[in-house]
Amino acid sequence: MKISYNWLRQYLDFNISPEETADKLTLLGLEVEEIEETGSDFEGFVVGEVLDVRNHPNADKLVLCDVNTGDEQVQIVCGAPNVAAGQKVPVAKIGATIPVPMKDGSYLTIKKTKIRGETSQGMTCSEAELGPSDDHTGIMVLNGDTSVGTPLKKVLNTEKDTVFEIGLTPNRPDAACHIGVARDLSAVVDAKLKNPYKEATVANTALTEEISIKIEDPDKCHRYVGLIVENVKVDESPAWLKNRLTAIGLRPINNVVDVTNYVLHEIGQPLHAFDYGLIGKKKIIVKSFDEVTKFTTLDSIERTVPAGSLFICDGNGPVAIAGVMGGENSEVTEKTSKILIESAYFDPSSVRKTSKQLALQTDSSYRFERGIDPNLQLRAAKRAAELIAEITGGTILEGAEDVHPVKTDPQIVPLRPSRVNHLLGTKLGKDKIQSILQKLEFGVEEASGRLLCSVPTFRPDVTREVDLIEEVGRVYDYNNIPKPESAPFIAPEPLSEAEQFQQRLRSLAKSLGYKEISTNSLLSKKEADLLAGEELQIHTLNPVSQENTTLRTHLTGGFLKALRYNLNRNAVNLKFFEIGHVFRKSDNGTWIKGVEEQIHLLFGLCGNRKEDNWQSETQPWTIFDLKADIEALFHDLGIADDIVQETKGNQSLRYWYKEEIVGVLNETEETLLKGFDVEQDAFAAEVNVTRLFDLGLAQKQITYTAVPRFPTFEFDAAFTVDASVRAGDLAKQIKETAGVLLKSVTVFDVYEGENLGKGKKSIAFRLTFLDSNKTLNIKDVEPVVQKIVQTLEKTAGAKLRA
Amino acid sequence: MIDKINTIKQEIKTFIINNEEDLEAFRLEFLSRNGKIQKMFGLMGSVPNEQKARVGKAMNEVKNIAQSVFDEAKTSLESDSKKVFGALDDITLPVEPAYTGSYHPLTQALDEIKQIFLRLGFNIADGPELEDDFHNFTALNFPPDHPARDMQDTFFVRKSDDPDIDDLVLRTHTSPVQIRLMKEQQPPVRSIMPGRVFRNEAVTAKSYFQFNQVEGLYVDKNVTLGELIETLVMFARLMYGSDVKYRVRPSFFPFTEPSLEMDIWWESDKGGQWLEILGAGMVDPNVFKAVDVDPETYTGFAFGMGVDRIAMLRYGIDDIRLLYDNDIRFLQQFKS
Repeated sequence: MKISYNWLRQYLDFNISPEETADKLTLLGLEVEEIEETGSDFEGFVVGEVLDVRNHPNADKLVLCDVNTGDEQVQIVCGAPNVAAGQKVPVAKIGATIPVPMKDGSYLTIKKTKIRGETSQGMTCSEAELGPSDDHTGIMVLNGDTSVGTPLKKVLNTEKDTVFEIGLTPNRPDAACHIGVARDLSAVVDAKLKNPYKEATVANTALTEEISIKIEDPDKCHRYVGLIVENVKVDESPAWLKNRLTAIGLRPINNVVDVTNYVLHEIGQPLHAFDYGLIGKKKIIVKSFDEVTKFTTLDSIERTVPAGSLFICDGNGPVAIAGVMGGENSEVTEKTSKILIESAYFDPSSVRKTSKQLALQTDSSYRFERGIDPNLQLRAAKRAAELIAEITGGTILEGAEDVHPVKTDPQIVPLRPSRVNHLLGTKLGKDKIQSILQKLEFGVEEASGRLLCSVPTFRPDVTREVDLIEEVGRVYDYNNIPKPESAPFIAPEPLSEAEQFQQRLRSLAKSLGYKEISTNSLLSKKEADLLAGEELQIHTLNPVSQENTTLRTHLTGGFLKALRYNLNRNAVNLKFFEIGHVFRKSDNGTWIKGVEEQIHLLFGLCGNRKEDNWQSETQPWTIFDLKADIEALFHDLGIADDIVQETKGNQSLRYWYKEEIVGVLNETEETLLKGFDVEQDAFAAEVNVTRLFDLGLAQKQITYTAVPRFPTFEFDAAFTVDASVRAGDLAKQIKETAGVLLKSVTVFDVYEGENLGKGKKSIAFRLTFLDSNKTLNIKDVEPVVQKIVQTLEKTAGAKLRA
Repeated sequence: MIDKINTIKQEIKTFIINNEEDLEAFRLEFLSRNGKIQKMFGLMGSVPNEQKARVGKAMNEVKNIAQSVFDEAKTSLESDSKKVFGALDDITLPVEPAYTGSYHPLTQALDEIKQIFLRLGFNIADGPELEDDFHNFTALNFPPDHPARDMQDTFFVRKSDDPDIDDLVLRTHTSPVQIRLMKEQQPPVRSIMPGRVFRNEAVTAKSYFQFNQVEGLYVDKNVTLGELIETLVMFARLMYGSDVKYRVRPSFFPFTEPSLEMDIWWESDKGGQWLEILGAGMVDPNVFKAVDVDPETYTGFAFGMGVDRIAMLRYGIDDIRLLYDNDIRFLQQFKS
């Protein structure tokens, strides 16, 4: 929202610079996001008369002009094709600065100079050099009556102004206008607000003869005031009015519409002017339509207005969409001579709904949907009528139609001064509190220690004690609130286990050499389909683009996208991890019913573990590198011995813990790689952090057990088995058969060869035994090995090799 | 006698040991049973009593010198004998360092924030990214159809006209975790709540449809706005240096009243400017009512800040997309 500094000064005598004003507004909660200079005072610009025009001896396109500037006669080199003797033109004298920036953003200051050898003592100006205009064709020719030497500011009726762009918060409808902003400012600059709307007005006479107004839907329209001005001459607005509007970025239209806009930005009451002659049957009916309605607004666009929207109708049908925009059919034009001024209060949520559905926000709807002052309508209409009458030479018909089915009285909200200080941490006296509120036009009366505050109806946001406390606080300035005298002594809780658990996993991943990535929570539908079926997917209803429609069910998709990004940039050795939320449809749900939202940890590898160097050949990462890391994690969590592995095809392994899947290890399938445009093998594992946490792993206690006093005994045993037999299964059986003496099983050799026979392979295990009570020897271990050999022979057809 | 000792000392020092034979010769000459030093000690009996102490000391010194010359020469000869300088014995051969991994800059910035609030006595809590309307809006005092909802472009996952079916949204802020926390636990509550949030916005250098926030909440008896500001100032000082220039100014959030924002003064090449770093306020009584906490008994404050923005300021990142591209050349700059 734009607020003009000059305009503010109309209501407030204050003597601070625009910059200081901006700071004060910001500290009041009206944050000035941008300060812009507009217009110009045209210092050093005067009206000059071109006395003589001669050719420039050294340039075809330039001429030499003798110009009388009132106090002197100067020669000016000029390039305008239209310059001619006898013209009155704007002249920038030496020292004047052209108010429109040059291409590089800097401003040109006129100096005495030589152009192609000829002296030039000033500049004759085009319209485009004086202000926003596209007319570069030649110098601006002024009316012949203007007297030479007159300051240009007087002739052009312009002024320099500073415009504040205020980021208005939705709770402050009162400040969506100049008087509202001036009111806030008056509370901190020690100046009294001059409010032209102050005096109460009542409609002493009705205008029933001229216009009948009926509100059929009083829930949505609490008040409708109609005023009539006749004999208006619709024309261009006077300069002062145009200056006000252009400063805040509005395009002047005509003197009637400009006044309604002026009043809107002055006091915040949206108004509409109808051409009275075009109102059918002298009737205004405010009502909602149950059906969708086609209606052409002022901007000549036919709009499809949804059912339930509130309209202003005349005897024939709709003439305006209430609170949003008027219709083309009743627009004020140059032919208009009699106007009806509408000044109404429409229900905020009704206007908001219509405006949202039409995707049409106007200066009117912006204010209605935030809530305007419900008691301002008649005063605003009168102000507009007076200005219109004054400017257009019209006559105000005496009286007003004021239909007011829903009345709003000021609310009384009690305020305890002690509560102010309790909440703010201040020590403000009752008088100080009272004076702040009174400056903001709250009525304050003291009653048994409390302040009974009458809330002005332009402050619909203030309904509770705490809202009043905010008013006191912001005017007092939060930066003035004293530091607490003592810091409260607090007893911190132990850091949450979930947080500790995540930190632990994160640091483990880092120590294993993984770089953390942060990928999108949303994938395209196509990408999501590659990872999980539709029955698990959750979609957004209003995606920002088709690239990001579906919530991730796995972290692997993001990893593959990160791979693609880097592979396309020739970075090929990638070791990534991510911890993030994944989402799946489910019958139960974690937080929200029907949604299983869990935290996953992803480990991913792509490329080479080591590039070839003097120590070794290139070593590509394999699935076993990733397997080692994921098992390092289980080991670190102290659950490695209780993890059960389950193969899922040839390229995938699931890790079970306490009958739940806690991790999945994958060699990424060809289709998945293709789907994500990754042209290199990749390996990914996902660990379900939420599940591990829920299984109580964060609470895992470490208890010391005695360090073994006796040495271990190692025994190697190689078995010939069918090629399809899996080492993991054999190892599992070995462990189960061996009992407590066996401490670990590793594979030290895997071998295929003709000497073994076709379809056979050899797996060599190293078994490590330990007894905590004695030193083991071969005699102790032999029976166990025998048992293992028998078991493996029986279950897997394994033969012990000699 | 002393002269004799000095002569032996001189001989020891000038003895040249180049190989094993020299070493053995040295040993025989000085240190063996029949060597000069042993013999020298044998003469001790002939030394007058009053000189015995001085002479004994000098003899011992010579013996020590001989022993250390022998030891050094021996060590040196042994290592020399191994020095067949093979191609792989070159310790200057370059190696690939065993790099550790790294944390994402967002994690690093968040860790800094967490550390600060842990020092200020806050705990850390979390909640879901997919939220229902009640937690994301209604309980936080966003009335239905209120312009305040326009402040945040929401991704809807479920939208229903049936009032019994709550809309589902990707949370637009971390504030719903406040609600979950207060529903779970009666005051005092003192926690921060970091996490990912979503806004339905196009991806540009300045905006992304997801980013990260840290929410903070402190509820107890007698919590004041003064304490809120003091907490924020402590944060700003720890995060941006003790000389940070800051201001607080009134603002609006539906779930706090009064509400404020904090700016810090940020110097750059283009000159200084105020930069908003966080929003905050006193918990609105309506929020307390939504979670059955008595607003007359308890007061509290809440604050929220954007981690992406803080990370971008901290590391001079000018394009938010860099945070989610995961370019390894970007990531590996953030050593931690």
